[in-house]
Amino acid sequence: MSDRGISRRDFAKSAVAIGGASALAACLDRFGSPDVPGGTDPATLPARQHAWDQGLPTDDAGNHRLGRHHVLLLLDYERDGTPTDGDRQQVTDALRSLERAYAWQADGLQFTLGYSPAYFERFGSEPAGVDLPQPSALAPFEDPEFDSPDAILHLASDHEQVVLAAEEALKGSRDSVNDVEMAAAFDGVFAQQDRRTGFVGAGLPAENQDVDGIPDSEPVPEDAPLFMGFKSGFDANQASEDRVTVESGPFAGGTTQHLSRIRLQLQQWYEQDSQEQRVSKMFCPAHAEEDRVEGVGENLGTDSGVGDCGGDVVEQSRRDGVAGHAQKAARARDDGDTPIILRRDFDSTDGGEAAVHFLSLQRAIDDFVATKSMMNGTDVADESAVGQRVNNGILQYMRVERRGNYLLPPRDLRALPPADPS
Amino acid sequence: MLGQKQAGDYMIGLTYSYPHRFWTVTGTTAEQVTVQDADSVHLMASVWDPETMTVLPIESGVSITVAADGETTADKQPWPMVSQNMGFHYGDNYQLNGEGVYEITVRVDGMTERRLGGFADRFGDAGEMTTNFEFSRSARDNIPFTEYPDRQGGRAALDLMNMELMPTSRVPAPDDLPGELLGTGKGSDEVYAATWLSEAEFLGSGQSYLAVSVRTPYNRIPLPMMTLDGTVDIGGETVYDDSLSAAVHPDIGYHYGAMVEATGDPTVAVETIGPSQVSRHEGYETAFLGTPTVDF
Repeated sequence: MSDRGISRRDFAKSAVAIGGASALAACLDRFGSPDVPGGTDPATLPARQHAWDQGLPTDDAGNHRLGRHHVLLLLDYERDGTPTDGDRQQVTDALRSLERAYAWQADGLQFTLGYSPAYFERFGSEPAGVDLPQPSALAPFEDPEFDSPDAILHLASDHEQVVLAAEEALKGSRDSVNDVEMAAAFDGVFAQQDRRTGFVGAGLPAENQDVDGIPDSEPVPEDAPLFMGFKSGFDANQASEDRVTVESGPFAGGTTQHLSRIRLQLQQWYEQDSQEQRVSKMFCPAHAEEDRVEGVGENLGTDSGVGDCGGDVVEQSRRDGVAGHAQKAARARDDGDTPIILRRDFDSTDGGEAAVHFLSLQRAIDDFVATKSMMNGTDVADESAVGQRVNNGILQYMRVERRGNYLLPPRDLRALPPADPS
Repeated sequence: MLGQKQAGDYMIGLTYSYPHRFWTVTGTTAEQVTVQDADSVHLMASVWDPETMTVLPIESGVSITVAADGETTADKQPWPMVSQNMGFHYGDNYQLNGEGVYEITVRVDGMTERRLGGFADRFGDAGEMTTNFEFSRSARDNIPFTEYPDRQGGRAALDLMNMELMPTSRVPAPDDLPGELLGTGKGSDEVYAATWLSEAEFLGSGQSYLAVSVRTPYNRIPLPMMTLDGTVDIGGETVYDDSLSAAVHPDIGYHYGAMVEATGDPTVAVETIGPSQVSRHEGYETAFLGTPTVDF
């Protein structure tokens, strides 16, 4: 969409965030229907729900770029006890309709449907062969609430109209999307417990910065893909889809998803820290000293370059007084020296507050816990002049408010799966 | 003074002033934070033990939330700071939506620093206090403001303010430290005092404790968030060679210490790897940034 005037800015802030039939109608009325590539026979789609990369465009450097608009629906299964075959069929029919309607790519629609530990309790056993604990606090200095819907739907598209229309269709308030008739909807099966929205990509954070947590001086750079002003999710610093896929058992081909809601408070970040301090806290002090990050960091290519941050983080931090966020997180790697979580996070203005929906995929929730533990930098704080939050990456500017864990089954088990489908 | 309340094991005092410029520290660099047009007040939180009146620097930090009519106006984690007249506290400039009544909540996390003696079982949990603040520009602008053009550049410090009800963050004079005083040494303006405890309730048999208290030279304000390494030799043998951990003790105050598995007459070297990372109010912006090694 090329119309980027002030009025669009005001509107865009609310369209996906407000949601509903009227927001969609207003969006279509104002911007028309984008030309969205149609879908395909669902049987030809990847077995993994989280196989999104092949449908994502790449940036100039070659990094995969997520769809720009996101909706998360936290859903409760409306029936007591174990799911019926009829309900399973209804969910399958609804999702397959979306797959026929939209191409499985960023400028079409990509989505996943996952299930929480609370959902599996109805079967009296945990999901077979997958590590899916209840969410818990993951740092001594956080006190989050825990999400416990039965299911979670994640919709992603470059087009606001597409995520809104798909959501409305699943809720039963649209008979067709992208000229494809919906064979079914979620009504009667899933009830919405919560709705969260967001965006990621150059321009969107700057357009949406009129929220609590970001000072009125409008400091977010025009080309920043995220509120904090830097690019993230460099390919070399992400786990591959293979690395996060469950390898064996009945849920082989699935993955686990962690979702946290993190409030951002960026007044100090933008009005008190210097660019050099921001680079040292986001990446590492060596990057700041050597002036390695230009603007939002496009010049880094496909690798945040944390390999050049110096040796041991704790040792470095004792001298530098600062530990970089990327530098700390990069310590969580497997035996093959590759990252173990695949970030698909995005920013949010839900409730008029700047926030991150930190969504990550990993083979087991333990992989996320290990990575988060590295990000906490508690060891850095204990052994150096770096505080538990002050100068400790970006922890001073964020507060984890909610956490939830989910299993994203393979595509053929995504409709109300049993705990042990084998 | 806006309010003072007990919050769990802590006592929290909240004061305010007009917005201040200050300096944040990363490594050995102090970087000036300028006052923004939108800044309304400088809020300062002090945290202390109501039993011993010891001011507690807390690495896990403090957060201050300002709200009006149920809406959050500001919510951030203020910087750990030292100033000549306030000593150690947590402070930052806050942006309010004009004059009126605000509700301010101060939350202090549990301490992760080593706690010794009478502090061993205390300060592990978070505490929170809320107080109301009626913001008026004229009241703020009447807060006295003194300049010291004649004393600028000189090595001196203003007297610590004698705040009614609130303790000042002063560590004991070297001679008043428990144990055997190994001596004092001068760093880059700051004073290092080392003491050696052979007998203390927290020591087992065959153990000693090295405490290094680093303070400002005139007001004895503790300088938290330093990275120090220590070497202890007894009878020509190195019995300790590692980092010193931040700790608090009722009679020593905030310091950096090591449990040493030996007894005897020690020779000690303290190497400063990183200077105090606390932010600085005016007057302290160029001080305490060196990385000296001090021998005792």
